[in-house]
Amino acid sequence: MTAAPTAVPAAGTGREPNHGLRIVAIWLPIALAADLLIWFVWGPHLPPGDLSNSAASQQSDLTVMAVLAAPVMAFVLVFAGYALVVWRHREGDDEDGPPIHGNTRVSVAWIAITSALVLSLAVFGTAELVNPAGAGAGEGNTPIWKPGGGAPLQVQVIAQQWRFTYRYPQFGGFESTTLMLPVGQNVQFNVTSLDVIHSFWAYQLGVKADANPDVDNVAYTRPLHTGAVTVRCAELCGLWHADMTTAGRVVTVAAFRGWATATRTQLAPLTKNLPPFTLTYDPNAVAQLGKAFQKAGLSGAGGQYYGPQYPVQP
Amino acid sequence: MTVELQPGKPQEPGGRVPGGRQPEPGPPRSPRAWWRRPAVHTGVAGAVLGYLLGHLLGNFIAHGYSQVQNSGQNDYAIVLGYVLGTVGWLAGLGVFNDLLRQLAGRPVHAAEEAGDSSSGLARYFRYSLDHKVVGLQYLVGMIGYFLTGGLLAMAIRTELLSPSTHVFSSAAYTEIVGEHGTMMMMMLSSIILGPLGNYLMPLMIGSKRMAFPRIEALSFWLTPAAYLILLSGLMFGGFPFGWTGYAPLSVEATQGADAYAVAFGVMGISLILLGFNIIVTIVCYRAPGMRWSRLPIFVWAILTTSFLMVLAAPVLVGGMYMMITDRTVQTAFFTSDLGGSSYLWENLFWFFGHPEVYILALPGFGIVCEILPVFCRKPLFGYRIAAAGMVGVTLLSFFVWQHHLFDSGINPDMRPVFMLTTELISIPTGFIFLVALGTFWKAKIRFSVPMLFALGFYFNFLIGGISGVFLSDVPADTTEHGTFFVMAHFHYTIMGGLVFAFMGGLYYWLPKMMGIELNQKLGKIHFWTMFVFFNSTFLPLFAVGMAGQPRRVYTYARSLETLNDWVSISAFLLGGSILVFVINFVWSTVIARVPAPGNPWRSRGLEWQIPSPPPPGNFTVVPVVLSGPYEYGVAGAPPVADLDPPLGVISRDSLGDAAEQVEV
Amino acid sequence: MSGTLSPPPSSPAPPPEPPEGVTRAAEEASFYHEAALNAAWTGVRLAIGGLSFGFGCFVFAYFYLRSLNSHGMWHPAGFKGPQPWAGALIMALVVVSALLQYLGLTRIKGGHKRPWQLAALAALALGLAAVGLQVWELLNLRFQPGSAGFASVFTGATPVFLIIVLGALIWLETLIMRARAVPAISFVEQPPTYAEAFAVQRFQAGLSAFTVLWNYLAVIAIVFWVLFYVTA
Repeated sequence: MTAAPTAVPAAGTGREPNHGLRIVAIWLPIALAADLLIWFVWGPHLPPGDLSNSAASQQSDLTVMAVLAAPVMAFVLVFAGYALVVWRHREGDDEDGPPIHGNTRVSVAWIAITSALVLSLAVFGTAELVNPAGAGAGEGNTPIWKPGGGAPLQVQVIAQQWRFTYRYPQFGGFESTTLMLPVGQNVQFNVTSLDVIHSFWAYQLGVKADANPDVDNVAYTRPLHTGAVTVRCAELCGLWHADMTTAGRVVTVAAFRGWATATRTQLAPLTKNLPPFTLTYDPNAVAQLGKAFQKAGLSGAGGQYYGPQYPVQP
Repeated sequence: MTVELQPGKPQEPGGRVPGGRQPEPGPPRSPRAWWRRPAVHTGVAGAVLGYLLGHLLGNFIAHGYSQVQNSGQNDYAIVLGYVLGTVGWLAGLGVFNDLLRQLAGRPVHAAEEAGDSSSGLARYFRYSLDHKVVGLQYLVGMIGYFLTGGLLAMAIRTELLSPSTHVFSSAAYTEIVGEHGTMMMMMLSSIILGPLGNYLMPLMIGSKRMAFPRIEALSFWLTPAAYLILLSGLMFGGFPFGWTGYAPLSVEATQGADAYAVAFGVMGISLILLGFNIIVTIVCYRAPGMRWSRLPIFVWAILTTSFLMVLAAPVLVGGMYMMITDRTVQTAFFTSDLGGSSYLWENLFWFFGHPEVYILALPGFGIVCEILPVFCRKPLFGYRIAAAGMVGVTLLSFFVWQHHLFDSGINPDMRPVFMLTTELISIPTGFIFLVALGTFWKAKIRFSVPMLFALGFYFNFLIGGISGVFLSDVPADTTEHGTFFVMAHFHYTIMGGLVFAFMGGLYYWLPKMMGIELNQKLGKIHFWTMFVFFNSTFLPLFAVGMAGQPRRVYTYARSLETLNDWVSISAFLLGGSILVFVINFVWSTVIARVPAPGNPWRSRGLEWQIPSPPPPGNFTVVPVVLSGPYEYGVAGAPPVADLDPPLGVISRDSLGDAAEQVEV
Repeated sequence: MSGTLSPPPSSPAPPPEPPEGVTRAAEEASFYHEAALNAAWTGVRLAIGGLSFGFGCFVFAYFYLRSLNSHGMWHPAGFKGPQPWAGALIMALVVVSALLQYLGLTRIKGGHKRPWQLAALAALALGLAAVGLQVWELLNLRFQPGSAGFASVFTGATPVFLIIVLGALIWLETLIMRARAVPAISFVEQPPTYAEAFAVQRFQAGLSAFTVLWNYLAVIAIVFWVLFYVTA
């Protein structure tokens, strides 16, 4: 192979400017400015925010990756832009370009840099996955990355077409259609489904776990502040997938205890009609659950929300 | 020396009578009336007969089973109708004629192999064995499928103009989303290998023919069947599960799901056959002197893509088959109560589904790497690196499928491994960028329309690729998975990558394929509108996804209405730019028909060294390749090939080289 | 010079004398003949690669569902699987068919056409018997297809195997028909004309390719037998 491209003898007339140096000179300030902007200005506002430790870890992950990606993108764009301006074809020039078939040093450098970036990202991503106990992602029924410090608050997320309900086994196993969480405490979501595959996505908490029938999919998080949470279904589950949303709140520990105790008492007659708490439910229990809901007038749907005019799914 | 013109009849296929003498050429087979020759109309008749037969058979088999409520339809009848309809379609086209002749021990005519004996439009409606005819059939077919999918996309964006005012019902919207996704991912898997691969690859490797012309033609004629079956799902209420078909939703869904499963299965078989023929042709039919190190990079791309097709698509076909048996004969592959698992579907589907993504990416890499040197007037920078990148992507793509399942609860402890493999795949993908930047260095860049599309490809794929790195990271993926972020990402790689490359390839090679120039002014308008509106459509969708809009929703948060409106309007304008392409295509190839110069781009590619459009049999004589295709500016470089090699060179070379080819 | 459309330049050196008796047509015919022989060799190996992924899909399903054993329903207690004698017989028929055909191949390589024809006919009959038996077994299942995970995989995988075997047998039939037209002497000595020699070689290449595929399917038959009847 030939020497480095900067050393290739100039094909044109006169002094050939040092293109490599020029490109770096344009690229460096752009990359630096982009990185500073991302790190200090954009990063703290990146989704999904910092309501929980998992959300915060995702935010910092996104920031770090953006900081690494920006110089790469800037380099490709600056290089290509420079080339398109400086090395464009001039009228009347029918000569071919210099016959450069490759350059070992440049290629090796490129491969080394991209490999280093990619491997460091993989290491960083793994650390960020292990560190905040699975980063809010569903970990299956035998989670290997768990939060330390005592038993977490257990919340079972039961998905069905087309609603989420939340069950609190540590409070007598009552079921609620709103998600309430205490601040500062580890939460363990046990996500399961009664029919098809859904995905429990608590946006501000940075939690996403597929709800599979017959599977207990565990995800952890720890809310850091109080605030509102929007839960949506993130896996196409049929006709009313888009409407499968619920509201949730992160409240203070005292407020949560008050809510949980009050709801527990209020729902006690209903709770005893529910199937006993298990990590997964036989779909045949759906009918039983539905009856219990209707009896208490608890669910927004109550079997009526979607209206009889809509075709039955499936 | 004089060129001896020989009839383009390089070989007889198997099964002919080797009865001691060359059979008399005799009079040409008596030309039957057009309506008695197998063509599309007999195919349609066969399809209708087959469907009715299958439907009857299904109802007969399943008469004791309860039909699905409120439908009056029976999954058995529909599936068997589709399958026998497809078989009838092929039989009507005459696909099985040669097979039946062979079974009866009768000789097989080699009439239509080297070049369709008949000329005119009629041959495009027949089971033609000429790879150039098949290429153009594929071209028209693929553009048709693409426009269908595009119209469905317009419908999606119309619905998303407002979160509260609905154009479609939720059910209709879900159908449209499913049809759009499946049409684009499934039908367009062969958008480049079908038209450009089939047409150009033999020209680029210096061959007069394909290895298995019957398989090649069959692979095309399966696509209209798959297309119609897929669309027919709309008659049964469509399918409510997108293109991914997650069980148990897909097992429980109404009869539209049968259309999805059979159509995807049929298309999977088409992909296997397409890739199979292409691999064997590239390995065995290269001209003398066409070493692996001289293979055009586009041929490398379709070779690697074909391997993905041949090895990954069987898993798809198997998965679709399991879905069909679950829906008909009541097996329980995906029903956990009965010993199955919905995870099985997710694993099988994505084991195909991820290589599928590279089936859609690699040919684009090939096209842009082919275009760059021509318009930079420089050799391709790092030819070996480009080829190695494609091979690397191919190998790695079999080991990344679980990155679609990071949140699913499947093998959570394996996630770091899949995160690593997924991020590793960006290294060979990066090679394609290294090659581009290296080729730009001190080049003489000409902004012709194909080059503009290649540059657009690089811009879009840069964004698509880098957003892919964000998705490969498990914590970041937790927020992005299942949202419009993912949607924007793969539209950047497929629409922004593959479709831009396809358009560039069309503007580049259509003068070769039809001998007709596409209007360059309209081409520039097409490029700029498509480039601007493509980015204006999909760049905001990254933000929409990050702001919390899940995929495949017909309604969304009120706060995202402005962004969604912007996207919808851009999408309509993007549709308008595709219309510019259609107008240009029709205008240039049907109305204006400006003949193109023989080699308008001054390319060194072997395919450009012969007349346009290529004569039947492609080459007068099997060419002998003398040097690589990218030796621009190399002083004293030999011409790319000797198109009139002295007598005796080929046989000498073929004996030596052929043995070597097989061993490699 | 690069990239311009010029008439193909004539070779700088004077063209070497063509070898005795070589014409353009013969040269190209032999070139593509050679390629076609290689294509048979390459194609069948590629097909085996693709088929392996297709069968692998079911083997994966087998082990995946077996390891998950959801609800204990992989192979529940009291589940009565398919008839063991039928499974063993199907496997044996395919394997013996492949062995016979292979022995026949060694004979035809030794120049004896007749023994191969007999062996191939026998192999065809055995293969068809295996297919027929498999169809019978599927029509007389002793369980509902969805009664267990094992039942699903069995009911799903065997028809696929059956169809592939049937396809291979169709190929064998065409080979038998082709062989009828080839004079036996052609397998002993070089036929007088190129056309005949090519036809014989193409038949041989097809036969070798078929043998590879058929032997492969025999291995698959053993694998499926082990999975469905031995270790179930």
